[in-house]
Amino acid sequence: MRDHRRCRRPAALLVATALAFGTAACGSGSGSAGGDDPNTLEVWTRSNPDSAATYDRVFAAFTEKTGIKIDYQPVINFDQQLQSRASTKDLPDVMINDTALMGSYQSQGLLKPIDPASISGGDQITGKSWSSTVGVDGKHYGIPYSRQAQTLMIRTDWLKKLGLKAPTTWQEMLSVAKAFATEDPDGDGKADTYGIVAPGSAQNGYAAWWGASFLWQGGAEIIKSDGKGTYTPAMDSAAAVNAVTWMKDNLFCGDNGVVQPGALTAVTSTATNFQDGNAGMYMTGPYNITTFDGTLGKDKYEVVPAPAGPAGGDVLADGENVYLGARTGKDRQELALAAFLVSPEGQKIAMTGVDGHQPVVRIPVNSTLDAAKVRDDARWSVVQKAYEDASQQFPNAPDFAPIKQDTADALNSIFTYCGGDVRSQLKELNDTLAGDLKDQDLLK
Amino acid sequence: MTATVPAPAARGGSGKRAFTTKALSKKAVVPWLFLAPGLLLALVFKFWPMAKGIWLSFFDVRPFLGDRWIGLDNYTRVLTDHRFQDAIGHTLILGIGQSVGAILLGFVLALLLEGQARSLRILRTAVFLPAVTATAVVGELWRLMYYPTSDGLLNSGLHLLGLGPVQFLDNPNIALYSTMAMGIWIWAPYNMVILLAGLAGVDRSLYEAAAMDGVSLWQRLRHITLPAIRPALMIVLTLATIRGLRVFTEVYVLTGGGPAGSTDVWMTRAYTLGFTRNDIGGASAASVVLLGVTLLLTVTINYLRKRGEAR
Repeated sequence: MRDHRRCRRPAALLVATALAFGTAACGSGSGSAGGDDPNTLEVWTRSNPDSAATYDRVFAAFTEKTGIKIDYQPVINFDQQLQSRASTKDLPDVMINDTALMGSYQSQGLLKPIDPASISGGDQITGKSWSSTVGVDGKHYGIPYSRQAQTLMIRTDWLKKLGLKAPTTWQEMLSVAKAFATEDPDGDGKADTYGIVAPGSAQNGYAAWWGASFLWQGGAEIIKSDGKGTYTPAMDSAAAVNAVTWMKDNLFCGDNGVVQPGALTAVTSTATNFQDGNAGMYMTGPYNITTFDGTLGKDKYEVVPAPAGPAGGDVLADGENVYLGARTGKDRQELALAAFLVSPEGQKIAMTGVDGHQPVVRIPVNSTLDAAKVRDDARWSVVQKAYEDASQQFPNAPDFAPIKQDTADALNSIFTYCGGDVRSQLKELNDTLAGDLKDQDLLK
Repeated sequence: MTATVPAPAARGGSGKRAFTTKALSKKAVVPWLFLAPGLLLALVFKFWPMAKGIWLSFFDVRPFLGDRWIGLDNYTRVLTDHRFQDAIGHTLILGIGQSVGAILLGFVLALLLEGQARSLRILRTAVFLPAVTATAVVGELWRLMYYPTSDGLLNSGLHLLGLGPVQFLDNPNIALYSTMAMGIWIWAPYNMVILLAGLAGVDRSLYEAAAMDGVSLWQRLRHITLPAIRPALMIVLTLATIRGLRVFTEVYVLTGGGPAGSTDVWMTRAYTLGFTRNDIGGASAASVVLLGVTLLLTVTINYLRKRGEAR
């Protein structure tokens, strides 16, 4: 055994040296892509080839205007790729990704702080949008780029057939859902239609993502900020118990057919009942409008504000921010790109899809633009109004990922076991959330 | 438990490339030269990431701010987390059920489809299809089959019998078994192929002799077939054990661990920890524990096999 070990050492050393050379070569290789030339920015977006085509047009217009070149990389599995780039301490110069990830990136030190005043045209972005990019230390870590809010998509042909109106309250929504499920709105003589589509799986935190609007409409909050940079979990409040109990009793444990079958294990990619034409309502983001127009038909459904709960009609808003990677020395070029991306010109290019490609800006962050006018589609004004007047975002100052996941786990479990006690299950969730906040040193 | 786990893993990793003592004599160098490309690839893509994973499991991983050494904290956290503890139970039920089921079904299929006829070859190919289809595709297929209304394939069958509809995936009491059924369906043909190879090596004259002695079918299986295919069975068992413990795709595509965590297995927990909670250190620790347990089981089976052969 001893002999073996002695021989192994030089071999291991050799391998280690080879590896060191290997990684060094990789490091300089990827760095030179945009690292050496100050006039080239490496930009990453979380995009598939379809939306990347739209980004291509945006960046081409920017290069033409400023002469600054863009080394553009659309990345599908953004988070994994970014983590591996981070481990080599070489980040892209500019990244465009979800707002909800800001807290996570900032807590890992990946982002450069931003002074809103340094972005020319930054004053055209509303205070509401800017406020969503403030990190735990009070500094801004992102520039708002695109926003969206959930609205209710509803089958107008079904409403008409049954002589119903689009619901404006939870109670009305429930009766419309029951009518959709039981009164055969598609007229095929079979009980094969459902009221509401719910992606209720805990996978990737979907139950919390979809359920958040209901929580807010019921007056509940997941965590509460005390305004001094610390938070308290708030899922044991009476409002939370009431809202969750309502969802459980009426949507998941109520009459069959209010939500689509299989809702408890459905994620957005498998909850396709609305576009398949067998469910009548879906509360979701406006990026689905393009899909639904194609699969269901523009004349079959309409976009209306989400029905209000006891505490109002707030829905979940999210979107994308522009992030600047930490520790690169290209501030001037990066700020020029950011300014272009939020300018009316940059936003307009990104809001229109040429050749059927997905637009990448949904609701413009530039307050001089009107989504419905740019797209010549009145439905977008419903979404824009929902974002401006009745929406909330997940707080992204702390790292919200674990909080969302734990909330989703708890909600999914409550909706699964219909006989459980909501109050004690939410109390348990609250303790878990307190632990999550404590891990981040943010618990009050 | 926590302190001893990484040790067998490290030993197992390096033990695979045992070097000879006469490393410098010319005769010994040549084979190593031939082995070098493969070995280097394995080192870079297998053992290096593995070592890095083990290394990371002792850290609070924050790539850009610098990792923080926290010793065995990740292990304590993972092993005391009640969801991981539940996941151990699910992994064992799913792993054992799926392995045993797939071996039994594979054995039955192998017995039925053994032979030289051309029609059998076509049939064997057809039966083998699930094993070469992407698990994600199979998952989508089974989601449709399990569709929880009387429109679903399985439920429409039950409907004819006046039963159902059964919530195959949304009922926390049966979701794990629904997943298991899909796993058996995927892996049985794979086992079948290995067992077929084993069956091909059975001495035919033994069957003839047995037929003359007038033994029953069961006795023939028990005393001729099973002993003869023992090596093949052992291989199948070893592979099934490893696969059973690190089961991931089947669960991820079918239920995502839900509902209410009732199908959460060790790997889906590790995935959630690493990729939705960004806790790379914790996910590494969970993976190292799994690696340790897998190695332990594989070594045990191997030991039992050798002892069995020696007997």
